[in-house]
Amino acid sequence: MMLKLGVFELTDCGGCALNILFLYEKLFDLLEFYEIKEFHMASSIKEHDTLDVAIVTGTVSTQRDLNLLHYARNHSNYLIALGTCATHGDVQASVEGKIREKLEKVYGTRANPMKALDSTPIVQHVAVDYALPGCPYDKDEIYQVLMNLAKGVEPPTKDYPVCVECKLNEYECVLVKRGIPCLGPITLGGCNAVCIKSQLGCIGCRGPLPKEANPASEFEILKELGYDEEYIRRKFKTFARGELRW
Amino acid sequence: MSIEIEAFTRVEGNGGAEIIIENGEVKDVKVKIFEGPRFFELLTLGRHYWDVPDLEARICAICYLSHSVASVLAIERAFGAEVPEEIMLLRELGLLGEVLESHALHLYLLVAPDLFGYADAIRMASKHGEVVKEGLTIKAFGNYLREVIGGREIHGINVKPGGFGRYPTVEELERMERQSEALLKFARRAVGIFAGQEYLGAKAEHYVAVNGYLYGNGLIADDGEHFDYFKCIEEKTLPYSFAKQSRYKGEVFMVGALPRVILKYEMLTPMARHLYEEYKEKLAQGYVSLNNLAQAIELVYALERTKEIARVLLDKGFEGENVPIEPKEGEGIGYVEAPRGVLVHHYRIDEKGNIAYSNIITPTAFNHAIMELSLYEEAKKRYGSSDEMTFLQKLEETVRAFDPCISCSVHVVRL
Repeated sequence: MMLKLGVFELTDCGGCALNILFLYEKLFDLLEFYEIKEFHMASSIKEHDTLDVAIVTGTVSTQRDLNLLHYARNHSNYLIALGTCATHGDVQASVEGKIREKLEKVYGTRANPMKALDSTPIVQHVAVDYALPGCPYDKDEIYQVLMNLAKGVEPPTKDYPVCVECKLNEYECVLVKRGIPCLGPITLGGCNAVCIKSQLGCIGCRGPLPKEANPASEFEILKELGYDEEYIRRKFKTFARGELRW
Repeated sequence: MSIEIEAFTRVEGNGGAEIIIENGEVKDVKVKIFEGPRFFELLTLGRHYWDVPDLEARICAICYLSHSVASVLAIERAFGAEVPEEIMLLRELGLLGEVLESHALHLYLLVAPDLFGYADAIRMASKHGEVVKEGLTIKAFGNYLREVIGGREIHGINVKPGGFGRYPTVEELERMERQSEALLKFARRAVGIFAGQEYLGAKAEHYVAVNGYLYGNGLIADDGEHFDYFKCIEEKTLPYSFAKQSRYKGEVFMVGALPRVILKYEMLTPMARHLYEEYKEKLAQGYVSLNNLAQAIELVYALERTKEIARVLLDKGFEGENVPIEPKEGEGIGYVEAPRGVLVHHYRIDEKGNIAYSNIITPTAFNHAIMELSLYEEAKKRYGSSDEMTFLQKLEETVRAFDPCISCSVHVVRL
């Protein structure tokens, strides 16, 4: 039996939906198990009944986003929050200020006819069955998740920091050896330490490590390296809206 | 009464249109960009310059590297920093990768289903698998360039002020040279496929492009003007859209592949230029749907140019060292041709290196007015003479020709 799949995009950069297309031939492997019923970036088909799996990307940034999210939740058995916008809010949710003030600064008016909202992650609005962060997420991860579901297996979640994959790749620690601000110790792994491969610091795009992170210690290390508190504070909250406290 | 296109499909981002009918005639069309605003200019205010290109990359997944490069160029200009030619060539390789990835996505996965009569490329693949596969191969190669130069396929952080985190290896450059040569035959075939598309939409009153082929230090227009964006382009806010509309000297204009090949054909590589000459008269018709043919010609350009640059860098070799950047108070503008047209990043930076003013204008915002005009003209032409399904389908095809990138367009600051 083919599973019915829907991909719903709320407000974001388009990358989380695009990354699914970047699976190339693996996409065709997925299509042996899934029938796409909604994916507006890729298809003009729209057939909504009940979906087995709904993937939702982006933040809730308008009333329309919120309605679409509720629609996806009410019409699906299993809902995946895909990407850091959906799981933590990402960069657009870290913009400070109230929506009307932001509209005034950018559009020159406090009027809000299109019903914009302050950006929030979808997990704040509905219960999700699986959350996969990353800006962008590693595309093989969503492939594995969808394959697991097709085979009736609940997909596992990752629980280790970026540092684990950095060590496995035998990259030099940019934080200790070169004093580059790297959020690897407090950020959820799964990206294969891609930024450290470029000899640059982790910018925290997969959001904070859920359990054992020690942001206070990371904060002290960066302070000792000479970075000012405001700089560190902003860096911590860029992708996850200040969820890291110290 | 009015007819709604609830949501454009096979485009990036969320937008729709309202076609207003009065006394049996099309009176007006509104292109509604309802993707939520993302406020990137506010996000970057007060941020340290070093982190800004990585944040700006998040504006768009399809053209993240164009945003990183535009951001880096603006920062370097603000500080008066100059980088050697080899760093500019490496950046250009990344931009070429983006053209390949983005044009291939647009032409083969989003537009081709219209030409072949399918709802999407997945369904089209059952009968025309070869075409879809050729497109995916070009797209994957574009992404390879983005991964090597940019650090990963989407939202890499390798493009930095003064240079790169990691420089490509000889093996990687050799692979670029080899593969770009091998893919040229696919790109040439694409030109044949998209040359057959019918004319849709309006003709632009003006074309605007960056003065260099993929990056530069100013804008040019078909009337011979060479200018900074704030001199001749005006923006206005609309009540029904999170994207603003722009006019060039008060008139509707277009940015993108069609304006590029027409205004800058002299910079095209040999085979691309030959193809341009072959279709010159057709392209000169100026209908917006010809943007697709221009994109196909640019696939050829991007592959030829990639091969050329890879060879130059292999022969010449490069240092692989960054230019030191000294922050100081300054102002700079970065002009880049994102795959779908002119992209501007403009910053003022304080003496500590923090962003004090930020303005970004993206191609879809520049094209918003002509997109609306194109839908109006197409709707006027077709209303009443075709059934509603065909009518709406043709309007969608017209919008698609712009390769709109709606996510990018929704956060532009007031000038």
